Order: sequence, then structure tokens, then C-alpha cells
Amino acid sequence: MKPSFLQRTWEGFRDTRVGRSIFRVGLPGSNLERAQAMVSSFLLHFQPAKVSRRALKPTTTLGLGLISLFLLLILVGTGVLLMFYYVPGTDQAYAAMKDLQYVVSAGRVVRNMHRWAAHLMVLFVMLHLCRVFYTGAYKAPREFNWNVGLGLFLLTLGLSFTGYLLPWDQLAFWAITVGANIASYAPLIGPKLKFMLLGGNVVGQSALTRFYALHVMVLPGLTFLLLGIHLWRVRKDGGLAAPELPVDQTEPLEGGSLPVNKTYGLMELAKGTSFQVGRDPDEEVFSWPHLIFREMLLFLAVIAVVLFLAIFFNAPLEGIANPIHPPNPAKAPWYFLGLQELVSYSALWGGVIVPGCLVTALAVLPYLDRSRKGVGRWFARERRVANTIFSLCLVVAIALTIIGSFFRGPSWSWQVPWKTPAAAVSEEH
Amino acid sequence: MTPEENNEHKTTRRGFLELTLGWTTAAAAVAASSAAAVRFLVPNVLYEPSAQFKAGKPGDYADGSITFLEAERCFLLRKGNTFRCMSAVCTHLGCTINETKTGYHCPCHGSVFNEDGKVVGGPAPRPLPWFLVSLSPDGRLMIDKNQLVPADKYLVI
Repeated sequence: MKPSFLQRTWEGFRDTRVGRSIFRVGLPGSNLERAQAMVSSFLLHFQPAKVSRRALKPTTTLGLGLISLFLLLILVGTGVLLMFYYVPGTDQAYAAMKDLQYVVSAGRVVRNMHRWAAHLMVLFVMLHLCRVFYTGAYKAPREFNWNVGLGLFLLTLGLSFTGYLLPWDQLAFWAITVGANIASYAPLIGPKLKFMLLGGNVVGQSALTRFYALHVMVLPGLTFLLLGIHLWRVRKDGGLAAPELPVDQTEPLEGGSLPVNKTYGLMELAKGTSFQVGRDPDEEVFSWPHLIFREMLLFLAVIAVVLFLAIFFNAPLEGIANPIHPPNPAKAPWYFLGLQELVSYSALWGGVIVPGCLVTALAVLPYLDRSRKGVGRWFARERRVANTIFSLCLVVAIALTIIGSFFRGPSWSWQVPWKTPAAAVSEEH
Repeated sequence: MTPEENNEHKTTRRGFLELTLGWTTAAAAVAASSAAAVRFLVPNVLYEPSAQFKAGKPGDYADGSITFLEAERCFLLRKGNTFRCMSAVCTHLGCTINETKTGYHCPCHGSVFNEDGKVVGGPAPRPLPWFLVSLSPDGRLMIDKNQLVPADKYLVI
């Protein structure tokens, strides 16, 4: 086949001194070069040279973690752009949002992309957590990485929370008020924590400054630190969680038998109790091009979806912050509405105790659930009990979110979504 | 056991000094810097509106009126010659409550307070606080949000 123009240009550049100094390995032509391409490239080296066919199947993980990562990259790109216009001042922030909407070229699309990618990231991080649970992938040796992932989930929520305060609109102002007051219910340190979070007693300039610093520096920094550890541990813990091999495949080895519980390591690259033993080499394919091209395709798809949403749906912006009157009803974004519904019964229980217990339960889960059964399979029969408990919690969370979203009207009173509440008309203030 | 191995378990002078001086100093340095960093985040000066403010002359308010003082987020109540001032900040999570025919309603999470600020519904854990109302030397009403008083304490003109 005749090489295309693009190919000839690339190879011409690769043949120069500069080209060879940058790209040690060219476009791979042989299997050796395919492995080298993965190992020698900075952008690719954290992925394995070969992957199992099972890992490539879309149904194995649904690509949820990868989608979350791509959304994060979009958020960093658009977020940095927004920083060039945004001013974290109570008297300028809202005007900067209006400028982005109406004055700055492509400002509206960039802001919309940031908003929709953020909402999608919260959603996909949650789905990723569910996938890891339902495939039993948090079990040994991945207990620690499960907890790193839990930390990333909390950071994602923290980033969303600090992010939607920055426009300094009504939602921002009253979310910061309610959020800081929830913090004040924390045992012992509560009121001090609130004072430190707001940098004062009232929600004002110092609070906005603090949340801005958290949103653009502290939380993203922590997120990338944990993300590095998370991806690194995926490799170190033996790649994607896979079902244990049948016993008869691991046993027969020439030259005596190996102890089943021994941990095998290969140049510290991978660890596992059954490293490669009994695995069919044909089950593995080279990451280049099989994994890399799939990932690139997924990245394109994620960008396409976010861009589509950003072009056709505008990110909401409420009226400018009014410290005197909250909107009625004052609703958090969808991912906090379940929590808001809980808080409407009791701030201490709904805002501190229940979420605290849930996070603690998720954190200690892999250390309590020590059975090795049902790893790497969706909804494994052996994990009926764990899956049922998790599903029940999930159903309650979804139900609370739906109630908070559609069944709560002005003054947080009950309403049916298909009827205009009479109270909304008479109690207008 | 050889004498060398046996020695490893004994506390040597070097080991003792490492533990006491070395690690204790390191721990103290980390603790002190962390404490300083936390203290740094607690502001010493606040540029916030004063908790004490004047609310005009008693004659500005009609008998039996309940006036919402916007900037200060509180209600000034006049009955005959008596004045009281109640917070308009919900004790649940800090939203501003609205005065309605049936009491005071919070729009955020549905807390309801009666005319004395007592909780009659919703998640609010405490009644609304009442602030000290006094008369300043120039004849104006003075409200101090730092001084809480019982609901039945009035300023009588």
C-alpha cells in the first residue's frame, strides 16, 4: 500500500536528527516496536505493553473510570481558560460570568463545557464506584486503591461544591450559607470549622476568596496527586480485577509445583497470586494499537458529547447573590438534593452522621469483606448479600434525590411535580 | 546469638539520643508548623458589619407592626410602647425566614417558627434568638446582636 501524505510527512520528520531525538520509537511496525512504543513514551508508559482481550471488552468496566479521567482533563482545560476572565470578588464575579456569557468569544461554550463536564464527572465517578462494587473489584489486593478512589470521589464532590459558588449568584450564595452551616454541626470543631471555612462570621469576600483558592489550587492539586496514585496502583495491583483462574489451570507446572499462595512478581512490574501462570498468551494483545486506539476513540466521544451539550444547553446562572433573601425553594444541584432532603429532617443526622457513616462503611468495606469469591464478574452470585445491601442504599439515595428534585416546592413543602403549587402563588415574598 | 546481634536490641547512647532529641524535635517542628498554618487561616481582623446598630426613632414604627430590617436580617416588633427584636436567620442552616400569616417559614428546609420564635415544625434545632434593644442617648433604638435576651424581655419607651 502506498504511504499517505500524512505518513510520508511524519516519516520525513522522524528521519531528521530532531525527530529521532524526540521520538525514540517511530510508528510501530513490528511487535517489538509495539511494546517499545508503550514503554518508551512518557504519555503511554503508565499503561501496560499488552492487555488481555477481556480488559478490552466494553462490558468489563464500561470505561467509566476512563470517562471520568477524560472529563477531568476537559475540566482542567476549560477551567484554566475561565480563570483568564473570572475575578473572585463579590462585586466583580457575577459581572465576569455575564461577560463570559455575552461578551467573550466562545466564552459561553467554554463555561457551558465546564459546567456540563463537571456534572457528568460527578455522575461517572459515582457510576465507576458502583461498577467497582458490583464486580467485587475492591477486594484484596485492591483495598487501598478502593480507598484512594473513595478520596477522589469526595474530592470530586468538593470541587463541584466549591465550583458552583464562584458565579456569586443566588444559588452560589445560599449554597455557601447552607454548606458552611452544615459544617458547623460537626462534633467539637463544628463552629470553628465554619469560621475558618468562611474566614469570618458572614458569607462575604473572604469566603469567596477561600473557596476560589480551594477550587483552583488545593482541591485540583490533591485530585491529581490521588489520581496519580490511583492509576499507578491499578498497574501495581495487577491490572483490572479478573476472575480467579480455575484451579486445574494454575497447578500443572513442570519441575514441581509452586505454592499457590506465593506472590509472584516480574521485575516489580506486576504482582498477583497467579501472575501469568496458566494464562494463555493468545489471550493478550498489544496495547498499541488495540488499547490506545480504543481510548482515543472514547476520548473523542466524551469531547463530542460535552461539546454537544455545551452548544445546545446553557449552564444556568441565577440572579445576582442577594444576602437578604434566599430563593424559594432554595435547591442544591441534583447530586446534593438527596443530602438536602435528609438535612430537611435533621442537620446533624442528615448532614453529618449519615454521610459520615456511609463514607466510613465504604472505607472499611474491603477490609471486612475478605472473601475472594466473585471478583471480576458483574453481580456475582456469591456476592448476593453485599450486592443487595449496596443496591438498597443506592435505591434510597436515588429516591431521596428524586423526592428532593421533583416533590419539594416552596418552603420545602410537599408538592406533586405535575401540579403548580398553590403556596407558590400566595406566599411570594 | 552473637554478641553483635545482642547489642542491636540494647539501647545505645546514639539510639537514645536519636529517639529523644532527633525524633522529638522533628515531631515538634511538624506540629508547630501545622499549628501555625491552621492559625494562619483564622483571621484576626474582620471587615464585617457591626453587630451593634441603630434602627431609627421609636416613632418610625407603627403600633403592632413587625418590620423586617433587611441589612441586619432581623424583625423589629412594636406592641404599644414596647419593642423587641428577633433574629430572621433560621437556626437550622442559616437561610432568611419569611413572615407569613401562620408564623415564620424558612424557604430552604421548611422550618416553621411561631410569633415567639419557638420551633413549631421542621428541622430547626433551636428557637430564634432575641436581641437586646435599648435606647441610645440620641433617642434612637439600639440593637445589639451579640447580647441575647429572653423572648419576653421588652424595651419600654
